[in-house]
Amino acid sequence: MNNQNTRNIQQISAAVLVLAVAAMVAWLSYTREPASAFLFPRYISIAFLVLSVWNFLRAATGIAKTGGGLDTASAMRLAPGLIIMAIYIFWLAKYLGFYVASTLTFFTLFAIYDPKAHTSLRSWLIRALVTIGFMAIMYGLFALVLKVQLPRGMFI
Amino acid sequence: MEFLSYFGNVFEPVSFMLLLGGTIGGLILGATPGLSPTMAVALLIPFTFHLAPHQGLILLGAAYTSTIAGGAVSAILLNIPGAPANIATALDGHEMAKRGEGAKALHLSFMSSAVGGVIGVLLLIFLTPVLAKWALAFGPSHLFWIAILGVTVIGTLDSKSFVKGLLSGCIGLWLSMIGYDDIQGVQRFIFADALTGGINIIAALIGLFAIPQVLEMLSKGRALADIDVITVRQQSLTASFREMISNMKALSIGTITGSIIGIIPGVGGQIAGLVAYDQTKKFSSNSHKFGTGHPEGVIAAESANNAMVGPSLIPLLTLSIPGSPTAAVLLGGLLIHGIFPGPDLFQNHAAVAWTFIDSMLIGQFLMVIFGIYIANLAAKIAQVPRSILAAGVFILAVFGAYSVQQSMGDVHVMIALGVGMFFLEKFGFSAAPLVLGLILGPIAESNFLQGNLIAGAQDGPAIYFLTGTLNLVLISLVILSVLFAFWSTKKANAALAKSEQGGSA
Amino acid sequence: MKKILAILTMSVALVTASMVSAGDYPERPIGVAVSYGAGGATDFQARIVTMVAGNKDMLGQPIYIINKPGAGGRVGWNWFASEAEKDGYTMSAYNVPHFIAQSIKGGVKYTADSFEPIANWGADPAVVVVGKDSKFNTMQELVAWAKANPGKLTLSGAGLFVGHHIAALQIEKAAGVKMVYIPTKGGGAAAMKAVIAGDVLAGVNNLSDAFRAQKAGSVKILGVADLERNKKFLPDVPTLKEAGLDVDNASVNFRGLMVPKGTPKAIIDKLSAQVPVMFAHKRVAKRMKAGGSPMKIMNRKEVQAMWAKRKTTLTELLKGL
Repeated sequence: MNNQNTRNIQQISAAVLVLAVAAMVAWLSYTREPASAFLFPRYISIAFLVLSVWNFLRAATGIAKTGGGLDTASAMRLAPGLIIMAIYIFWLAKYLGFYVASTLTFFTLFAIYDPKAHTSLRSWLIRALVTIGFMAIMYGLFALVLKVQLPRGMFI
Repeated sequence: MEFLSYFGNVFEPVSFMLLLGGTIGGLILGATPGLSPTMAVALLIPFTFHLAPHQGLILLGAAYTSTIAGGAVSAILLNIPGAPANIATALDGHEMAKRGEGAKALHLSFMSSAVGGVIGVLLLIFLTPVLAKWALAFGPSHLFWIAILGVTVIGTLDSKSFVKGLLSGCIGLWLSMIGYDDIQGVQRFIFADALTGGINIIAALIGLFAIPQVLEMLSKGRALADIDVITVRQQSLTASFREMISNMKALSIGTITGSIIGIIPGVGGQIAGLVAYDQTKKFSSNSHKFGTGHPEGVIAAESANNAMVGPSLIPLLTLSIPGSPTAAVLLGGLLIHGIFPGPDLFQNHAAVAWTFIDSMLIGQFLMVIFGIYIANLAAKIAQVPRSILAAGVFILAVFGAYSVQQSMGDVHVMIALGVGMFFLEKFGFSAAPLVLGLILGPIAESNFLQGNLIAGAQDGPAIYFLTGTLNLVLISLVILSVLFAFWSTKKANAALAKSEQGGSA
Repeated sequence: MKKILAILTMSVALVTASMVSAGDYPERPIGVAVSYGAGGATDFQARIVTMVAGNKDMLGQPIYIINKPGAGGRVGWNWFASEAEKDGYTMSAYNVPHFIAQSIKGGVKYTADSFEPIANWGADPAVVVVGKDSKFNTMQELVAWAKANPGKLTLSGAGLFVGHHIAALQIEKAAGVKMVYIPTKGGGAAAMKAVIAGDVLAGVNNLSDAFRAQKAGSVKILGVADLERNKKFLPDVPTLKEAGLDVDNASVNFRGLMVPKGTPKAIIDKLSAQVPVMFAHKRVAKRMKAGGSPMKIMNRKEVQAMWAKRKTTLTELLKGL
C-alpha cells in the first residue's frame, strides 16, 4: 500500500511538472512579440495545456495506469553513472580532447558497472583491453573513415 | 522497356565495383549514429568528380539505398535510429534484438527493404510521368493537412496511453519551435545558448532513443541476474523468408504507403516509415503486439522507407525539383557533370539515366546479400555485457551527436533530451510520438504560414484550406484517423479490463 | 616578481605568436561551415570550389564542409561569429546580401564587421520566374497586373532577408505596387516548386536554378535583377532596368569564403593569396560551368569594397521595414 502511495505521488508530481511546462509555453507564446511569429506556438500551446490538464486530472484521480515511476534503489544505482556522464560532457571532453576523455569515461563507466570482481587484477586487465579495443574502433571509424574533426584537447 | 538495354552498363567492371563499394560503404555509414543518408551521400560527392557521370551516379544511388537500410542496423541492435526514416524500425526491431532475435529482425528488415526498394524503383521506371503530376498536386494547404494527419498518428503510435501519447507529441511540437523561426527569423524559447540553432533532429533522435536505454541499463546496477540469459538465436534464411511472406499484409501496406508518401516533396522520406507502421498496426489483427518486438512492425517500417527511395526521385528526374535533401545532393552529383534533370536527361543522356536507375535495382539485391551476411554476426551484440554496452552506446551517442554539425551544443541538447526522456518514460510518456512531433512541427507551421499568406492574396484562409478535392480527402482522413484511434483505445481498454476481471475472478 | 611575470607573459606571447605564424599553416584539414543544407546551391558550389584545396600547389590540405542550416543562414553565421575558433582552421561560406541584410534587421550575433572576407567565388543574380502556362510573358505584363490587382500577386522566394526578398522589395518599390512575398522554408528549390506547381503566381529565384528549370520546360524567365544581361546563360532575358523598373544589382547573391574577425593576419594573408588561385583552377571552372553556376572571382580587397557598398544600399532599402 505504501508502494502504491509513492507511486501516486510520483505520478502527480510528474503531471504537475508537465502542466507547469505547458503553462510556461502558453504564457510565453501569448506575451512575446512579434505576434505573427508566435501564431503557431499559440495553437500548439493550447492543445498542450488542455492535454496536460487532462493528464493531471487522470493522475490526481488515480486513473493513470501507465508508468511506475522510479524506485529509490534504481535511482541510487544510476546516480554515479549520471555524474560521470555529466563530467565528461560538460567538462572533460573540452579540456582533454574527445579521445582521451572518452577513453577515461568508457573505462570508468565500464569498471563501475562491471559485475566482475573489483579486486582481481585479471578483470582490470580485461577492462583496460576492452577499453583500448573500443576506442581503437571509434578512432578508426570517426577519424580515419569519416574524417570528422573532433575537439582536440591538451594531448590530441 | 528501354531500361532493360542498359543493365549491361551496370556490370562493367568499374561500375560494378563502385556499386559494390557504395553498397558496403553505405551500410557502414548508415549504421553509424549521427550520419544521416543525406550527409553520407554528400560525403561521397567529391569522389564522383573523378568518375564518368553514370559511374558517379551509381555510387551515389547505391549509397542512398544502402544508408537507409544500414540505419536499420543501429536502430535494431542499439536502439539508435540513424535517421528519422528508421524510427519505426527501432520500435519493434530493438525489442526483438533484446530477446535474442536480432538476426531475425535484421533479416526481415533487409529483405523487406529490398522488396520495397525494388517496387519503388519499378514505379519510378514505369509510372514517372503520371506520378510527377501527383507530386505537384501538393500545395501548402495539402502539406499542412498531411502534417496534421501525421500528428493524429501520434495518439495511436503510443501503445500505452492515448493522452500521454498526444501529450508527448505536443512536447515534441513545442521542442521543434525552439530556436529561430524558419520563416521570419524570430528567436523563440531560447533558454540556453546551445538552443540558438534549434534542436537538431538527428542529435535529438540519438538522445531520445539511445540515452534512456543506457540509463535503464545503468539503473540495474552491477547485478549479475538476467545478463547472460539472452541466447542469440541463429536464423536461417529460408525461415526469415517464409516469415516475411507470411506477413504479406504488412509488407504490402508498407510498400504502398511508402511509395505514395515518398513522392510528396519535402515530407515523404521522414515520415514514410512511421505512417506505414501506424497503418499496418491499425489493420493488423495483432495490433496489441506492436511495440513488443512484433515482426510485422519491422517489415512495415523497412519496406516503406526503402519503397520511398525510387518515387522520391521522380520530382527530381522529371521536373528538376529535388523533393528531399538527399535528392538535392544527388542533383549536385548530376550537375557537376553538366547533366540537367528533366526532359533533357532522358532524351540526351538516356544511358546515364537508365544505368543509374538499373543500378538501383541491382543495388537492392547486393544490399540484401551483404546485409544478411552481417546479420548473424551483428546480432551477437545482444550478448555483450551490459556494462560495456551501456558505456559504448553512450560514447557512440556523444560522437554521433557531435559529428552531425561538429557542435558541442548538439551534444548538450542530446544528453538533456535523453535524460529528460528517461524520466518521462518512467511515467508512461514515449519517445516515438515526441520525435514525430519534432519532425512534423516545422512542416505544419511553415505550410500553415505560407498557406495563410497565399490565402490572404486570394479568397481567404477558409476557402484555401477547406475546399478542393484533395483538401477534403485529407481532412476526412484526419477525422477518420482520430475516430479510429479513439475507438481502438476504447476497445483495447475494454479488453484489458475484461482480462483483468477474468484474472482476479 | 614583476619582472619574472613580465618575462613569462612575453615568452607566452612569443610562443603563441610563433604558433600562429603562417609558416606551417595549414597542417591539418580546414573546415568550411555552410549555413545552408547539404544539396543547396551554396553547399554544392562550396564543395566544387574547394575540391582542389588538397593539391600541393594550392593549400596542401583538403577542405571539408560542415552544414549548419537553419533560419535562412542565421544559425550557421551566429555559430561562426560566436563560437568558431579563430585559428584559420574554420572558415565559412558567406552569402551577400543575406547576412548583411539580416544583421541590419537585427536579432543576430553578427554584423558585416564580425567577419574577414577571403575571396569571392560566385555571383548568382536573382531572376523573376513564372510557370510555363502563366498568362504573363513579360515583366511589363506582370507589373501591370500587379497594379490592377494590388495585394493579389503572390511571389515566392527562399526566405526573408535573403537575395530573393531584397529583389522583391526593390521591384515593389520601383513599380510602386503591393505584392505578397511568400518565403519558403526549403530554400530556392521549394520556392521554385511553388512556381512550377502553380501555388504562387510568380517567383524570385537563383539564375542558375531558373536556367535549369527553363531548360526542363517548366518555367518562363521574365527578368534578371542585375546591371547587365547574363550573356553566358540567358542572353535573351532583359534586365529589370530594361523592363522599366529601377532595380540595381543589390540582390545578386555573392558567395565566397570568410574567417572570423581575430584570425591572425598572417593566416588571412596566406589564405587571401591562395584561395582566389584555387577558385580559378581550370577543373573548378569546368565543373562550375557544367552545373550552370555563374562564377565571379574577387580578391579580398574587392570583396571588402563590395560588402561596404551593399551595407549602405541595404540599410537604405530596409529602413522603412
